Amino acid sequence: MSILVYALHYEGEFNKNSLGAVSEGAKLAKELGGEAAAVVVGGDDLTDELCASLGGYGASKVYRVKGPEGLAQPVVDAMAKVIADEGFKYALFGGGLLGFEIGAGLTARLNAGVTMEVTAVKVQDGGLVAERPILQDSAIVDVGYVGEPGIIIGRLNAFDATESGDGAAEVVDVDVQLEDHSTKAVMVTRGEQRGADVNIEDADILVAGGRGLGKAEGFDLCESLAEALGGAVAATRAVVDAGWYPYAAQIGQTGKTVAPKLYLAAGISGAIQHKVGMQSAENIVAINKDANAPIFEFSDLGIVGDLNKILPKLTDAVKAKKG
Amino acid sequence: MSTAPVEFPPPVDSAKEFVAAPEDPEDERIEVGVAIVGGGPAGLACAIRLTQLLAEDESLMESLGEVPVALVEKGKSPGSHLLSGAMMHPSAMKKLFPDVAEGDWPTYGTVDTDAVYLLPNAKRAVPLKPTPPPFRNHGNHVTSVAQLGRWLSGHAEEAGVYILGETAAAKLLVDGGRVVGVRSGDKGRGREGEELSNFEPGSELIAQATVLCEGTQGHLTGAAIRRFGIGSEDPQQWELGVKEIWEVEQPLDRVIHTMGWPLRFGARYREFGGSFIYPMGEDRISMGLVAGLDYRDARFSVHDTLQLLKGHPLVAELIEGGKRVGWGAKTIPSGGYWARPRQLWAPGVAICGDGAGMVNVPTLKGVHYAMHAGMFAAEAIVERLKAGAGCQDLSNYARKVEGSEIEKDTYRSRNMRQPFTKGFFVGGAIANMMEISGGRLPGGRWATHDDATVDVFIGPERDYPKPDGKTTFDKLSSVFATGNATRDDAPNHIRIQDRVPLEVALMWQNMCPAAVYEVPEEELDAARANGNGKLDGKHEVTMQITPSNCIQCGAITAKGGRLTPPEGGDGPNYQAT
Repeated sequence: MSILVYALHYEGEFNKNSLGAVSEGAKLAKELGGEAAAVVVGGDDLTDELCASLGGYGASKVYRVKGPEGLAQPVVDAMAKVIADEGFKYALFGGGLLGFEIGAGLTARLNAGVTMEVTAVKVQDGGLVAERPILQDSAIVDVGYVGEPGIIIGRLNAFDATESGDGAAEVVDVDVQLEDHSTKAVMVTRGEQRGADVNIEDADILVAGGRGLGKAEGFDLCESLAEALGGAVAATRAVVDAGWYPYAAQIGQTGKTVAPKLYLAAGISGAIQHKVGMQSAENIVAINKDANAPIFEFSDLGIVGDLNKILPKLTDAVKAKKG
Repeated sequence: MSTAPVEFPPPVDSAKEFVAAPEDPEDERIEVGVAIVGGGPAGLACAIRLTQLLAEDESLMESLGEVPVALVEKGKSPGSHLLSGAMMHPSAMKKLFPDVAEGDWPTYGTVDTDAVYLLPNAKRAVPLKPTPPPFRNHGNHVTSVAQLGRWLSGHAEEAGVYILGETAAAKLLVDGGRVVGVRSGDKGRGREGEELSNFEPGSELIAQATVLCEGTQGHLTGAAIRRFGIGSEDPQQWELGVKEIWEVEQPLDRVIHTMGWPLRFGARYREFGGSFIYPMGEDRISMGLVAGLDYRDARFSVHDTLQLLKGHPLVAELIEGGKRVGWGAKTIPSGGYWARPRQLWAPGVAICGDGAGMVNVPTLKGVHYAMHAGMFAAEAIVERLKAGAGCQDLSNYARKVEGSEIEKDTYRSRNMRQPFTKGFFVGGAIANMMEISGGRLPGGRWATHDDATVDVFIGPERDYPKPDGKTTFDKLSSVFATGNATRDDAPNHIRIQDRVPLEVALMWQNMCPAAVYEVPEEELDAARANGNGKLDGKHEVTMQITPSNCIQCGAITAKGGRLTPPEGGDGPNYQAT
């Protein structure tokens, strides 16, 4: 076996970043001539069917461990045991705070080498080499591993989830004795930080609003359009700062990094601090009344005009098209 | 309409907020020998000199406890907040490191050729020959102070200095009429000052002597000068410098200074300053524009004026095909000799470097004075400790400064900056006369003035270039290039009145190189409606402030506000400035 991936689940579904990591692990393992397996930790909601579904993303085996879900240390215990028993050469994480915490914990536990914020991984001379941006993303370094295992922690949304596998994965139950310190933390509540119910990182379509909306009520227009398109609403730092929208929806340097299929930027000027959070979106559509706004320099489609007129018309048109 | 920003003073009570008696229980205090505030050239030279002197006297070293020398630095590491031109005079490095060859210094070496140009307009450049004496830089080293700071801090740590990075010195601790140390700033507070889950209160550093080396606009330096009444009757003045580092295709073979365009010559605008362009090795240049903060036009922006300068053929040729790799901004004390604190020490504390105004304005020198002053402070403190006298009286530090080149050089140019309030040509003529006469003519004491007392007005629309992201840049992408990623919910560390006349608001917006202050579009629309399409200052506006953009240049303190140190570690992370 060559690559072990941690897959996070919540309410009967795997996290999009975890699925990305499984897909990436499977692809790389194939190139290395090995296989990728996944570790899942949780309770009874980890059904045989749910675990086996990771096979659809290329995992050959899924190690199922009973334990508290959503906490880092129990997963460190589980992965350390699986790696010790089965001898994996690499551990791969899809990013996110939990992935960072587990990856760091596992690194310390196994005295391993680690690379964080990885944006791509390649096979070179029979091993994996991680690409990691440095100096505010102005340069990329290649990081190879001299010892085993090598820990690779991806940047959020660095790896795409692609269904590629050959059906169901083999599910293996593993009994792991949790360390004393791993059971000290207890999950109190689980959910999006600061009470927001949007999960913008997983959305395929995002309608993002900026200061150009003029006032907090301007977000009503974004919400209607997002609802019609079946997407979610995101926001810039400036409007979160002004209290128009919750922090959980903030995109950019000090917010979240997203890569949806469609990013519709309404009234967003496109400062670099915002751009770094959304530049990997597949399609960027910008609406702004200022033709000189920097966002037009990196959008696929730009509309210069009044949001208050364009957004409602767009919403109506989408609704009409969808019937 | 014109208004002086000083009419809208910042809501600050320095004596109450920034000076306190120690209050932590004794077992929680951190006891050190000497506490140094600020990891710049002054603080690090002071720390290194202390370790050199203490190494010669083991029993004295032991008497100072486990931590003989501690240095607090608010940046991520020493160097993160350092920015200067700079052409460094070699005397201080030679004194501090007699065994290190000049070729091994962390500098870009010396440059043999000087060139000074007067730019009459956007097209022409008139070389001034022979090079005016203040601009002769033979023997001086092209230096990045950010890199110098990192190198010095490596030496300091090796010598046993205890460096506390990401730590702001928030309060001066005064007990029984003498300074007994500093209190570090709290960490993990929310926007309203509330304690977040990662809250960590500050700690008290108790020291036998405290050395304030905070650089320009020193936070505790200002508090100490007020508390002990040791300021000059002449107020300190500042200039704002914005600089960029460029990777270029052709190596630059000379040190260039320019005067004139894009600054305006008229006395009405009071735009005093110039630009510098220095080679940094074979493939980089450092360039910047410096302007006095006693300017008057609310539309004047040093950052955008630097963007304009890059369009001048003289400069455009140098950077053609190149790439901007760094940016930053900082104020420079420019009040000179008269504006320096009347007394450079108070019981238990010494003040060094830029915070004490140790800058020679005409020659654009300050780094080596800062280092000398730091070393003098170290020597004075060790003398006192050796005598068993305690550091209540540090007048011996002041005497060392007075007998040195710091005093001699700044006295010679003591009146050179002030005449420029009369405009470029008259001011230039008077300054020339001073230079030729070695500072004797015209004699007397030319008063300085507080930058914030100069009234500002809204001048005509400026023709700053639209940023293209290749040769010209907007403020926000420039802030990004500094590595600043301050969390958004940190408390606001900038004290200003946020409702002010439009000309003051616009002045702050344009002054700030980091886009911290903004007059909202709707306020501008309302002002235009009030003034029949014209903008004037009868209208009061409420500003939008984004403190997380702040790169702590200090201009706001000169122009009517008050910068305080944010949480340690916040702000820029300069690499080569």
